[in-house]
Amino acid sequence: SSTKAVEAVMHPLEHSWTFWFDSPSAKSRQAAWGSSMRPIYTFSDVEVFWSLYNNIHHPSKLTPRADLYCFKNHIEPKWEDPICANGGNWTATFQKGKSDNAWMYSLLAMIGEQFDHGDEICGAVVNVRARQEKISLWTKNAANEAAQLSIGKQWKEFLDYNEQIGFIFHEDAKKHDKNAKNKYTA
Amino acid sequence: DHIEDKSLMDRKYSRDFLLKFSEQCKDLPEGFEITSDIAEALVLSIGNVPREML
Repeated sequence: SSTKAVEAVMHPLEHSWTFWFDSPSAKSRQAAWGSSMRPIYTFSDVEVFWSLYNNIHHPSKLTPRADLYCFKNHIEPKWEDPICANGGNWTATFQKGKSDNAWMYSLLAMIGEQFDHGDEICGAVVNVRARQEKISLWTKNAANEAAQLSIGKQWKEFLDYNEQIGFIFHEDAKKHDKNAKNKYTA
Repeated sequence: DHIEDKSLMDRKYSRDFLLKFSEQCKDLPEGFEITSDIAEALVLSIGNVPREML
């Protein structure tokens, strides 16, 4: 009977999180960016996280041009979101099909509150492309250099990622698109 | 405020701790709605698709 009691206990997370999906087939070049983004489901405990994660394709199985997001509930994964507006993101790049573990470890570190500056984190996205996969960690106050550097360093440790990663302010990305320069590196 | 601190601590979970729960949570949450715009993201197997969609 003690086993039953253990099974019934759910493990609440510090925050509620939402998985979002932007499907390659729904994206059209004419439509505004983000207009085909859809929330998948919101979870707030460990058990529901796994029941979603286990049924959502890992990045290596997603079609190129798909984007999969996991953001704190009530934060839309868009630059325009009031909480993201002054933020930025760290990005790590992976060879095709090689980002599955990094994606899972990023999610577990976020939902398990493993970052010292966890309050700074908005969420994570994996962009699946024809030749590579990119994971980005979005944060709130890009100007807070100490917090961003701490997050970048910890993230690399959690992922066991040895390449350099760069942090871009959303404001710069908006102005310069792909030519935006890294403000910080880790 | 001592109690609040404690509850915060309780909601920190290590990777190894979280991984322990993976195997016991295989089915989509009850009431999960598989709409066409997210179907592509899902690993659909007979076991987790609601009967009316088959």
